[in-house]
Amino acid sequence: MYPGDHGNHEEELDALFRAYREACPDREPGVNFMPGVWQRIEAQQRNTFSFLHMAQAFATAAVAATLALGVYLYLPQNSSARAGAYQQNYLEALADANSVETPDIVGPLRLDLRQSANQPGR
Amino acid sequence: MLVDFELIERAQRGDSAAFNEIVQVYRKRIMGTITRLIARTEDVEDVAQEVFVRLYFSLDQLRTPKVFEPWLYRLTVNAAYDYLRKQRRRHEFRMSDLSEQQVMLADAAAGGKADHDEQQQKRIREAVDSMLGAVSEADRLLLMLKEVEGLSLKELEKIYKVNENALKVRLFRARQRVLKAFGASAQGQAG
Repeated sequence: MYPGDHGNHEEELDALFRAYREACPDREPGVNFMPGVWQRIEAQQRNTFSFLHMAQAFATAAVAATLALGVYLYLPQNSSARAGAYQQNYLEALADANSVETPDIVGPLRLDLRQSANQPGR
Repeated sequence: MLVDFELIERAQRGDSAAFNEIVQVYRKRIMGTITRLIARTEDVEDVAQEVFVRLYFSLDQLRTPKVFEPWLYRLTVNAAYDYLRKQRRRHEFRMSDLSEQQVMLADAAAGGKADHDEQQQKRIREAVDSMLGAVSEADRLLLMLKEVEGLSLKELEKIYKVNENALKVRLFRARQRVLKAFGASAQGQAG
């Protein structure tokens, strides 16, 4: 079955394994075996339950913190919108300040050369 | 199969009485297997309890009751393997605390209590344990299941979830190492 250079030991080893099987027979468990199994199962269930309980509490706290942070971030933006501050960029603010209706007192100077040429005495 | 499929299905649905019945049927066999796998009689019951606790929590993962026995064997092998790994660490620590003389005295005291048959069995167990020290713990368990428990390659294939050829190679190598250790010990006794 297992070829090799240990040929003569093969059978002896098999016999030793068989003897080992007999030297370690099946054993009857003690009277506390089943109660012990159930104790361990219940202990593990308690651990699992308390872990789940903690995980649920943590998840709830995380959701609450997220909501609170969301509200906190939303409220300042809303109040500033009501106040009307910082809602325009610089160019929009400049355009509003110099609208078409506003007199162009600082506009570029325009010279009409034809008009000055037709004037007598020049 | 020592139990019928219906009993396993009932246990899977959470029926405690069905689970109890399964434990009652298999506990002796599992304890015997663990005794041979870990070779430490005082901890066998503890490891066997661990196997049934693992069974309880993993029953819902069992796809079909047909593979229940290989599944249970797999849990047994894993629990034994975990135990051996822990034990190796503890053993190294414990033995380093004792002088060689103390170890010999402890062995002699233990031997004095045992009768002739028990001493003979103890010698066999020690000889096999010593030989199996030549292979890894994983290979030791594999050899035990094959050579001592008498499981077939098909059964081992289901337990280890690897193909038959890979198992054959692993078994062959493990057995060659054990044979080498066996030959060396036989030569030592003769010389």
